[in-house]
Parts: sequence; C-alpha cells; structure tokens
Amino acid sequence: MGYFGLRSAVKISQRASYTGDHMSIIKNVTAIAKGMGITLREGFQPTEVENYPDGKGPLRGARLEQRFRGKHELQRDENGLEKCVACFLCAAACPSNCIYIEAAENTETVRISSAERYAKVYNIDYNRCIFCGYCVEACPTDAITHGHGFELASLNATSMVMRKEDLLVSIKTGLPDANKVHAEAVS
Amino acid sequence: MPDVNFIVDGKKLTAPAGTLLIDACKSAGIEIPAFCYYPGLSLQAACRMCVVRIEKAPKLGTACTTTVAEGMNVTTESPEIAQARKATLQLLLGNHPLDCPVCDAGGECELQDMTFKYGAADSFYAEPKNHREEQKWSPVVYFDRPRCILCYRCVRMCGEGMDIFALGVQNRGSSSIIAPNVAPSESPDHMAALDCEQCGMCIDACPVGALTSGTYRYKTRPWEMNHVATVCTHCGDGCKTTLGVRSVNEGSEIVRGDNRDKSGMNGDFLCNKGRYAFDFANNIERLSSPLVRQSDGKLKPVSWEEALTFAGKKLRELRDAKGANSIGVIGSNRTTNEESYLLQKFARTVIGTNNIDHHRTADFVTLATALQGTTTADGKPRFASQRCVEKSPAILLIGGDPTNEAPLTAWNIRTNVRLNKARLYVANHQDIKLKRQAKAFAPVAEFGYAAFIDSLASANDFSTAVKAEEKLVVVVGNELRGGELAKLIAALPHAKFALLADYANSRGASDMGVLPDVLPGYQSLKGSTLASEYGAAGQSQVADAPGLDLLGMFDAASAGHLSALYVVGSNPIKRFGIDASALKNTFVIVQDMFLTETAVLADVVFPAANLYEKAGSVTNSYGDLQLVAKAADKAGVRSDFELIVRLADKFGHDVKTLVPFGKGLRAAGMSGDMGQTRGAQSGEADRHSVWLTANNLEPKLSPFDPFAILDEIQRVVPGYDKLLRLQLLSGNDQHIAPAASGLVQIQTGRKDLVLPAADTLFTSGSLTRFSPMLQDVQRHQASEHTDHLASAD
Amino acid sequence: MPTLVSHPDEVKVVSRRFGMGATDIDKYIELDGYKAVQKAIENGPEWIVNEMKASGLRGRGGAGFPTGMKWSFVPKVSEKPKYVLVNGDESEPGTCKDHVLFLHDPHSVIEGTMIAGLAIGSKVGFIYLRGEYRYLLKIVEKAVADAYAKGYLGKNIFGKEGVDFDIITQTGAGAYEVGEESALMESLEGKRGVPRIKPPFPAVVGLYGGPTVINNAETIANAPHILLMGGEAYAKLGSERNGGTRLFGISGHVERPGVYELPMGYSMRDAIYKVAGGIKDGKKLKAVVPGGSSCPVLKADEIDVGLDFDQMAKAGTMLGSGGIVVLDESVSIVEFALRTIRFYQHESCGWCIPCREGTDWIKKTLTRFHAGGGNKKDIDNIQYLAENMMGRTFCPLGDAAAMPTLGFVKKFRSEFEEYLEGKRVEHPLIQITPIGEPALAGAH
Repeated sequence: MGYFGLRSAVKISQRASYTGDHMSIIKNVTAIAKGMGITLREGFQPTEVENYPDGKGPLRGARLEQRFRGKHELQRDENGLEKCVACFLCAAACPSNCIYIEAAENTETVRISSAERYAKVYNIDYNRCIFCGYCVEACPTDAITHGHGFELASLNATSMVMRKEDLLVSIKTGLPDANKVHAEAVS
Repeated sequence: MPDVNFIVDGKKLTAPAGTLLIDACKSAGIEIPAFCYYPGLSLQAACRMCVVRIEKAPKLGTACTTTVAEGMNVTTESPEIAQARKATLQLLLGNHPLDCPVCDAGGECELQDMTFKYGAADSFYAEPKNHREEQKWSPVVYFDRPRCILCYRCVRMCGEGMDIFALGVQNRGSSSIIAPNVAPSESPDHMAALDCEQCGMCIDACPVGALTSGTYRYKTRPWEMNHVATVCTHCGDGCKTTLGVRSVNEGSEIVRGDNRDKSGMNGDFLCNKGRYAFDFANNIERLSSPLVRQSDGKLKPVSWEEALTFAGKKLRELRDAKGANSIGVIGSNRTTNEESYLLQKFARTVIGTNNIDHHRTADFVTLATALQGTTTADGKPRFASQRCVEKSPAILLIGGDPTNEAPLTAWNIRTNVRLNKARLYVANHQDIKLKRQAKAFAPVAEFGYAAFIDSLASANDFSTAVKAEEKLVVVVGNELRGGELAKLIAALPHAKFALLADYANSRGASDMGVLPDVLPGYQSLKGSTLASEYGAAGQSQVADAPGLDLLGMFDAASAGHLSALYVVGSNPIKRFGIDASALKNTFVIVQDMFLTETAVLADVVFPAANLYEKAGSVTNSYGDLQLVAKAADKAGVRSDFELIVRLADKFGHDVKTLVPFGKGLRAAGMSGDMGQTRGAQSGEADRHSVWLTANNLEPKLSPFDPFAILDEIQRVVPGYDKLLRLQLLSGNDQHIAPAASGLVQIQTGRKDLVLPAADTLFTSGSLTRFSPMLQDVQRHQASEHTDHLASAD
Repeated sequence: MPTLVSHPDEVKVVSRRFGMGATDIDKYIELDGYKAVQKAIENGPEWIVNEMKASGLRGRGGAGFPTGMKWSFVPKVSEKPKYVLVNGDESEPGTCKDHVLFLHDPHSVIEGTMIAGLAIGSKVGFIYLRGEYRYLLKIVEKAVADAYAKGYLGKNIFGKEGVDFDIITQTGAGAYEVGEESALMESLEGKRGVPRIKPPFPAVVGLYGGPTVINNAETIANAPHILLMGGEAYAKLGSERNGGTRLFGISGHVERPGVYELPMGYSMRDAIYKVAGGIKDGKKLKAVVPGGSSCPVLKADEIDVGLDFDQMAKAGTMLGSGGIVVLDESVSIVEFALRTIRFYQHESCGWCIPCREGTDWIKKTLTRFHAGGGNKKDIDNIQYLAENMMGRTFCPLGDAAAMPTLGFVKKFRSEFEEYLEGKRVEHPLIQITPIGEPALAGAH
C-alpha cells in the first residue's frame, strides 16, 4: 500500500516538474507524509499472516480451509475395512498419470475391503500429482479423499512415491469404539 | 438369394432376401443394439433392445427376427424407440447390482454402454434386489448370478456352438437363473459345477460381467491392459488369441487371454488352452539367467557373455576337432518360422551338418511330395486351409479326434455342419464326439486305416458317398503317415488334404527344413539351388547326404560319436523316453524356459522367451501363415532367434552370412553398395541383396530382426515366396502351399519318426506341468464323473 | 364339482348336451354325436372350410381370430406331417368354460378335432389339457378310448378306406404361459414352455416342425354343431362379424355364478343383472373384469356394452376368454391389482426382459404399497412400468399383465391415492375356492 502510494507520488511530481507547477511540491510532500503515515500505522497492527512454521500445534501455525486439497487419504469403512475396491477409476481419471494400482481378490480368510477386490498396491507419485482432485471425484466408493497434509517437499524424488501404507488412514481414528477392537483384530 | 431394396433411416439399402434386418443394418453402418442377438447362434428375441419401427407394423418390431423385405421402411432411432430401449434398460437395471467398480466387465460391458447411450442411469427402483450368491463352476468359470441379464447367449454358445449343452435355465420368471450341468447334489463339494470342455466361450459371449474368468477375475481393469493379438502357442490349429498384458516389475505380464477382435480363422472360437494357458509364462520356476555346468557338476548362473562365449568356443573346438557331423541340432515345433529356418541354416552353414531334426507330429514331407503336381478338378492346389474346413460343402475326417486335439478344427466342422448344412464323413477307430455331426460314420479297426483306404476303392455306401462329393476336404489325423497317407491321397484324386499336427508351428518346422533329409520347402539336399547357396555360404562343405535324425543322434551319443548337441525349445529326453546316460559324453546346449528333463543334462542352459514374448510368423497344421506379435516381456530371457545369432557369433562365424542385415549384406569386404555391382553378375553371393532391391525391400539393420530372415524365407522357400507382406503384417492369415514340383523324392524305407503328442484339451506337452490353470482344470475334470466327450450314442 | 346353472336367455349350442350324460359315447351318439364328422368325410375339406368361414366363428381362446381363415392357411401339400392341436390349457384367471366342456361333453372336442383334421388333411390330433386339469384327463382319455373302440378313431375310421385319424392326449405341468400356442407346442415337444419366434406361424411351421392348426377347445367343440346346423345358421345366432354363441363364465360377487352360453353381442349388463342374478347381497357394483384377468377393468358405469370382440374393443377392453369377474363395492382395487400382478409375476416365463423384470418390479412395488409403505410416486411408477411393458414383450403375457394394471391405476387412481391416506376398504383378499382337485404342491 505504502509502496504504491509512493510510486504515484513520484509520478505526480514528474508531471509537476514538466508543467512547472510549484504548488504541487507541497502536494507531493503531503502525499508522502500521508503514505508514510499509513505505513507506520500498519507497522504497529497485529500480524495478519500465518505464523508458519513457527506457530503452535501439529500444523505449526498453518491454517487450512476445509476443502484444501492436500496429500491423499485412503479411507476405511465403519468396519475398518478399506473402502478402496481397486476399480482403477482414479488412475483412469488422473491427468498426470500418477496413480498406480495392483488389484487382488479378497478371500474367505483375508478380507481387506468390503467388495470382491482390493488394492494390493496403491501408489501415488507426488512428483507428478497436480492436486486437481479428479481422483476424488471419480471414486465411486469415497475411498480416496484429499487430506490436509501439505509438507511434501523432499530432496529425494524417490521418497515422493507414496505407498498404500503411507496413504491409508489409521484404524484408530474415525471408528466407533465398539468396532475398533474387532477391526484391529482382523487387521 | 435375390437382392431386395428397403429403406432404413431414410437410407436406401440393398441386401439379399432373407438377411436379418439387424445384420443388414450393421453392414450398412447402422448399429442396432442387442443383448441376446449373437451372429451365428439361434434367434432369441428376448432382450427387446433391437426394437425398431417398421412402417405399417402395429407395434415396434425386433430387428433380430425380422428379415428384410422389398419396400420395407424402417426407423432405427426415434424418441419412441429410444424410450422403449431406455425402459428396457431401466427394467434390467432394477435387479442388476450396481457393482461396476469391482465388476470385471466394467469398461467393456454392453449394459454399461447401453445405459450411457440411452440415459437410463437414474434409477427409481426402490425395492429390494433379488440377490444370489456367486458360484464357482470350475477353476476357470465363475458365475456372479445377480449380474446375469438372461440373454441366453451362454446357453446357446455352449449348446449350439460347442455341442456340449452344459448350461441351461432353471426356474421361471424373475427367478430364472442360468445353471450348469452338475447339480449341487451330484457334485463332490455340493456346489453347482460345470463339467464341460472349459473353453470359456460362455464368458466371451456374456455381454455383462455375470460369467467371469477364473484366471483373470478381479486382477485389473480392461483399460489398464494393452491388448496384443497373436497366435496361440498350443495346438496346431492357429487360433488368434488376444492377450491382455500389463506392466510389472519384470517386464510385462499376460493377465488375460480372449478373442476380442474375432478376425482370426477361429472367428468367435477359443479353447481352454488358448484362453487361459498362458500362465506358464509367469511360472515361478522360469529360468531367468544362463546356467553353465561347473567343475563340481552343478549348474550355476553366469552372465550372458560368459555363457555364450563358453558355449560358442566349445562348439567350435568340437566341430574343428571331431568334425561337423559329430554335432547334432534339435529344433522345436513352437518356435517361429524365422527361428526354425535360422536354426537349420545354423546347422547347415555354421556347423556344416545335416544332423538336424525336431519332434515330428505329422508327416508333412509325405503330404507335400504326394500332392506335388496334382490339382483339384478346377485346377487348384490340393492343400486345404483351415478356412476350407469352415466353408467346404463336404468334409471327410479320417483318424484323429479334433474335439480333443484340434479344437478349432472341430469348431469349424460343427459350425459348417450347423450353419451351412455341410456333409461330414467320419472314419475313425474310436467313437469320437464329432460322430454326432457326421452324416456317415465308418468304423475302422485300430491300426486298420490301410484296410479302410483299400475299402474306399470298393463300392460301399460310405465310399460311394465320399467319392460322389465334388468339393471334398479331407482332414487326416496323425494315425496316417508315410505309405498309407500317400495311398489315401492317391485314392481320392481330387480332394483337398490337410494333416492335423500338434503344436503351433509343427508345420512351420517341417516347411523350414528342420529335418535331416530335406532343405526348407522340401527341396532336395542335392542339386537344388538352395543347396548350392548353402554350400557357398558355409564355412565347411555341407554334405548332400541326409544327416542323423533325432533318434539317430541319441544312438550316436550312446555310442560315443556325438560330440555336441544343441537343443532349442524341445524336451526329447522326456518325449522320446531317452535314457539320461546317453548324453554323458556329449556337450549339450539347451535353450528353454524351464529346467526340463533335457535341460538338467545340459552343460549350458540359455533361458529362452516363449512364443508370446517374441515376434515372427508361424504356420499352422493347414499351412496358414500368421504373424506372431510380441505381447509379454520377461527380464532375463532372450528370444531363440537372438540366441542362435549370438551363438553363431561366438562360434566365430560372420553373422552377416547367417542373417542378412545392414549395409553390404552378403558382400563382405565390399563397400556399402548393397552388392549389386558384384552380385548381379556373380549370381552367387549377393542374390539376397539383389532380390531385396528388386522387391523394393529395405535391408534390415539389426542382426536380431526376424524380418531379415523372413525376407530370405520368402526368397528361397517355395510356397512362402507367394506371401504378401501387407496381409501378414495386417494380421491376416495366408495359405501356403509347398511348391508344385521339384520337391525331394522320398526314398523307400524312410523311417517313420512321427510321434503324435496325444495332447488333450487340458494338456500341452511339456508346458502342461508349468501351467497351474491346466493342473487345476485337470483336477476339476477328474472329480466330475460324467464323460462329456463321449459320443451321444 | 360346480353345479350346472342355466337361464332362459341362454342359446345352447356347445352346451346343449351339458348335464345329459354325454360323457358316455352311446348317449353322445344318441344326441346327434359323430354325425357331423361323417358328413365332413362325405363332403370334403373345402366344404368344411367354407362352412366354418360362413359361420363367422372366431377363436374362443381370447384373440378372436376367424377359425375358418386359420384352417385355410395350412398348406395343402407338406413334406412334414400336419397336426391338429386342441388348446385345453385354460389358465386365465376367471375363466372356467373349457373345464365344463371337458367335464360334460368331451366327445364334442374329439369330434371337432377330427373335423379340423379332415379340413387340413391331418391324421393326428393332440388334446392338450392344463396341468391343473389332470383329473379331467381320465374323462377325456376314456372318451378317446371309447371312440377308438367304436372305430371312430384309428385306421379307416367309420369304415372309410384310407381315412385315418389318431388322437393323443397330454397334460402340461401347470404353466399359464403354455396357454400361448407356440409355448404349448414347445411344452408338448417336451421342452421348456416358452413361446417361439413368429413368423413362421404354426400354420406353416408348428408342432415338430409340421403345419399345425391350434384351436381353443371351445372353438373346436363348435365345429360339429356348425357343420350340422350350417355355417350361416350359426352366424345368425350372434352379432355382426361375431358368429354364434359363446360360453361365458360369470364369477365373483353375483347371485348365480356359473358358465352360461350367450349369443355374441349379448349385453353385459343383462349378463350380470339378469342372467347371473345381479350383485350378491344387494351390494353395489364396483367394477367388472370382462374377459379373464388380463383384460382392462370396466367401471360400474361402463358395462352397457355388447359381449362381442368388436364392441368390447371399442369400449377399450377385450372379450378375452369370456371369464367375467364381477367385483362389488367391498373390493379393494389395490388388493385386487396386487393379486392380479402376483399371478402374472409368478407365471412370467422369464424369457424376455420387460415381462420378467416388469411384473416383478410392479409386484414388489404394489406389495410395499399394499403393506402401507407406498407414496404417490409409486402410482406413477407403476403406470410408467406398465405403459413400457405394453407391446414390448415377446409374447402377449407382458401385455396381459400390463393391461389390467394400467386399467386399475388409470381408472381407480383416486382409490390408490385414498389408500395412501389410510382410507381403505376393509376386506380380506378375495377367497377363491379351487375347483376340483387342487394343483400339485410346489408346481410352478
């Protein structure tokens, strides 16, 4: 604000010297004083930006809106089973081709998802992901959602490929207590 | 049939009278949707999707049952019709589970497509759905009952197409359900089961995901795969199979086999092996590194360079020390034509011996020589193609059991009888299943085919009927060979003939001269132009006397006269029951996928690619040439073609004389002028480059390019000279007939070395035990007590 | 066994021997039996067909196709044997006319079959009885055996050299669908009772691939009478383009339910109020299902209509199989609609999608509606489904289920809406006492 104020003042003074209007010098000085006044006043106001990464809490001061599209989460259903049925629609919808899935079939003894099929391998390559949210939109079972994870920068590109284990929500969160024991037992 | 004129959607069309409206529209590019209609099967008119407005008709008519008539005026798309189809879809979707995300058919489902097209996606169905549990009918066929839309395609395919009738409908109305032929009460595990040929044709025909394949189910989605159309490696019929492959760590893996493009000779058909028995390629026992026998007697993985250098040098030493004729080469009937040709060229020009043979499963030498110089009544060659079996008005089947050994031949015979009312005559020593389609059956005593051929000369009902046929195709099983086969051919002077062999390229191996007594194209070892060309190209003079045959080689090995044996894609120790000790003093090189009975005896083992992992061409039993496309890929294996070339290189041979590639080609030492300057005049060394130039073909740049050898095959193998590249590369089949004259003269007393493989629907030579699917199906079939392959009576 | 009823307005042709012991062949012969067939043998096929055409007789099964014309469609020369098929698979709810016919006068069916055989040049006839009529088979089989014993059936019948005719009796397994002619043929051939694709029509490719005439039992039983009285005389009994008389089974809430033979074109109001004695217990008439359960319902004010094919079609319904079901004011239309669709859902053969899925869907919705879980949208849905089943199915069963449903929903929509508001007719589901022996348990 202050900077723009200054610039316009300079512009005006240039024009003033061209026209030789000396009264404008006083106008210029008052303008500068006014501008600097705003700058000084703002300087003592409380901070409006987020104090990341020096803030409090697990997010270290970052504040995210509800619909912020961060690192993906693979959700579980109320029984603790994975919601993902490996339909590959997210991979098909992905414009940057960053989702890799290998499907496998649930058996009587090993049940991972509630449908016939589950994702044996589910990788998202965050080197490529553009966080467009198409995968979330394509998902017929609401299995993949955008979480709020955003600290994804890395100096090692290979660590940017997240596996299913990195994306899956923990059984401990988001389950009624009664189901938790059972879900932990089956997993 | 005379043509009639009619109008569809304002377009004036013409079609032969009697054509179904749905077919007539399809040929004019107007697609009418249908679930139950399937070309070639009986009409059903059950799905009501193909309804069209026919002028003057009181209500919408079904295009699948209406035949075109003069002046008919048809509308195929209108708001009224769209509403009818939409309502039908809404009704169907009422009880159809909405599990598209997990359904195997999702993405290639006709119901999905129609729902998108007619906008019936919003459902107002609020009632509970009729649910039923999924059933496993066999290791390869699963039935998800609620997904079934009751189009009855599977029932008709199984009954009419396969002549098995293993599927039927139970109950009525909305409780109608497709059920298999083994009721829970009859099955050992009290589950409904399918006792049939396990061909999976029902799965192919299913428009939705109700019938799913046991080997593919829930593995991936259709759009995640690449689809490669290639030729099946199993029997000698030459079916086209479409392999769905996907990337895995070790390359690309085959996850599904089906017949989606239907452009092959097999049309709709694919048998159990063609559809499912690709899993040997993914077998965990597969070799992925060269092995060399160490001083402690054990095979140890080594690098490619080390193994090839060792094998090449040792082979050279033995050739130089013990002579070329102390070395034997055994080829394969599953390698491509190019590889077979290259192998015999390797034997004849690199090593310099005629000691080359393969496991013969039919006597093609006799067929070629007995038919040479003769024609049918209308002057055509007498070699029948697979297409003839599908079209010919009359077929005589002597010996063999195509239902088990050559399923496509059986399918084509059945289809021809069913749709074209072809007349089938069967002469066999067993009550084979095709007897059910036969117009006449002549029982033959076991080993009594000679007597049967004699009886053709006398006037009995069977021989009179057969001889009255003007366009007869004779399909001969491998019971007949040598003199008997020649006699049969002489007894039916105008018929076309085909021999049933056992593997994908049995015919190709014969045609390519993987035989000790003939050169490629059944040309003589002595005096033919090819013989002199080989003589000029070889490092040592190749003898013009026949070499050792397969058994002769092992006899020589036992006697200590065989210094080295090079086996490519074959397992003679197991197949011919040879005692392992025969090879104890022989240096053995084996190229194979697995550590077979032969490979464990080898000094060097090279892991080889299978037919699905390479490109080239193969020739089926009938002589139909087809392109093999590379579908899968496996880290650590090499194609036989590459291995032969590299072995020749390590042997110290100039590979340019083996595979004509790169500039200069054969004219070693000449500047890159393609050799025309010298070759045209000398007429010897540079014929290949001259021929390439004359035919506007490019010289190949890589020594591993099979097309370089295909060029040479086209140049030197009679019959193959007629092949059209465009046809081959377009994936079309071409029928190859050996030369009409100038073939080898069969010596009397030529040994009969044909050993029928006796494979069934669920075996495929050495591959059987490496295919878990085939093992599963064999166990399943053994647990069912009925014998569906038995003749009806 | 239902008692026979009668009324002075009746014109007895087919039913003239009812109750006179005509199951006995001698009694039958005494009552002019087997005279018509001998007359037919003398005069030849052309004469038979002409008399039938002149009689204006239309198929009594429900579709009303002129019988003489049907017989004339059969090719004169055929490589395959020709057959006469009698459709005794009377399964339409509300219809019980063939039942009394077989019960009281089986020989007239046999004689009619022989006449049809003579007309088309067939030597074999089949009498196919409904599965639930298995107990009638004894009567029919005895009649056939008696006819054989007299030399009326078999080789050289009536002593005429070269004139042969055989009759084979058969019952179904109890499927409504098999009442459809081509499904009946499938059933008779030992296959699943599902209809065939037409064309070819049975007259060209029918039973076992041979040209076949298939007629309703009542139609066939009319033939001897027509030949005896003359086609034109028979035609005069009925109304315009609807020759003769017809058996009407009047059931439901009437004072004197039963099977009456009335001339074609007879007033429906008179049939209910005069012939059948009016509504039971002095209640008010609510609706009439005019020709078996598959015909659209008529409201109480729509019954001033003549009982013939053309007048009924004009009134927006059908004469059908002549089973008039009378409903009084105590009947809940919702319940009646549910009961009707339950029947069709159970009897749908499952062949084609609109019928298989449509009947099931409507039944499920109506069941829920009836149980009190319905809403206004359901009424629209039922109408939409029925409208989209109409004319879209492989055989007429789909239409048979859709037409009455449409009739109920359209004509009694207000009652459906009132049902939602809790205003219901308190009446248990109509009790139907099975006639004769009950069907086999568990048979579909």
